[in-house]
Amino acid sequence: MSNAMTSEDKDLLAAEFAMGLAEGEDAIRAERLLREDDEFARHYARWRERLSEVDATAPAQPASDMLWARIESGLPTAQPVRSTQRAATPSFAEKFAQLWDSLSFWRPAGLVAAMASLVLAIGLGFSMREAARQPVLVAVLMTDANQPGAIVNVHADGRAELVPLGDIPVPAGRALQIWTLWDRVRGPVSVGLSRSARRLDLDVKALPRTIPTQLFEITLEPEAGSPTGRPTGPILMKGNATTAL
Amino acid sequence: MLGIAIRVLRRRDMAEEAVHDAFLRVYDNAASFDPARGSAKAWIYTIVRNRALNILRGEARTDLVDDFEPMGIEDEGDDPETIVSRMSDARSLKRCLELLAADRRKLILLAYTHGLTHGEIAGKLGMPLGTVKSWIRRSLISLRECLA
Repeated sequence: MSNAMTSEDKDLLAAEFAMGLAEGEDAIRAERLLREDDEFARHYARWRERLSEVDATAPAQPASDMLWARIESGLPTAQPVRSTQRAATPSFAEKFAQLWDSLSFWRPAGLVAAMASLVLAIGLGFSMREAARQPVLVAVLMTDANQPGAIVNVHADGRAELVPLGDIPVPAGRALQIWTLWDRVRGPVSVGLSRSARRLDLDVKALPRTIPTQLFEITLEPEAGSPTGRPTGPILMKGNATTAL
Repeated sequence: MLGIAIRVLRRRDMAEEAVHDAFLRVYDNAASFDPARGSAKAWIYTIVRNRALNILRGEARTDLVDDFEPMGIEDEGDDPETIVSRMSDARSLKRCLELLAADRRKLILLAYTHGLTHGEIAGKLGMPLGTVKSWIRRSLISLRECLA
């Protein structure tokens, strides 16, 4: 009977399967078709994409410390944190950086960004308890080598912070300067300066509220910051803000 | 992620279990993710959802039914019309759901968000099983036409 399935039959079965409504023989057939039938797999993927709109309405839920710890211990994170300044107890950012190190092989930038907001959504429990803050926008700053190098979290109250995901080598007499571009006419505006890669509150108070797609970047500048008020050194990493999942 | 699992499982401990499993699965299967087949978001949501459904339909089934009854089906925030109102205006699924009759829309959203089977929906709403099946099937066909 499955041989006689029309494209419409397949699409309908794919829809029921994507809904979680295929039962018994239908479910077995759907699973087989998903592996063997390209057309069915395409139908299924399309329904999953459409229905993910409904998933996206699920309210964000803070995860418990225990969940985060269990996820972390389940991942192969053998390498130590490459952070220069270590707090007495690992902070959320450090745990995040450690996790991120193990994820850095994730090439497709879209997946990396999606994972970032996903991890942040899980880690929400930490940030909510620690400072009652919740990132509404996340920018994953990517290096030239297409590796995630830092994250900018923008919180609901407008505050923004930089969280490096690993060490960034800074030559003597130089500093990292963080810029954002919210208005192409005005050009990049400096929002932070640091001699080393560390967590940093960004100075965005004087700027309009950060919006999705707003660009953040880090350049290498003289120790006292760019003398011109504009980026003068090489761009180390950059990325655009996206809505946290 | 946790929100999706809680909607299906109704219990935080089990939802955390589902998210935990899903997270490791995402990590293990990252290489097999194919951007041509759909967005990373849909892919990740699917993994969480499927894990939650497997838990729901596996060992947990009997447990949950006991818990589930006294709570009723209308948890805060889970009302189908609220779900539709939270959906993005930019996407056509919202518009197409709004074209369905309210009772059919409710069926689709209850089935999806709570991971209910045809039989469970029939039981909850006191409708014949055959009617539930054909309503859902026809609603999916309408959605497909609207989304095409």
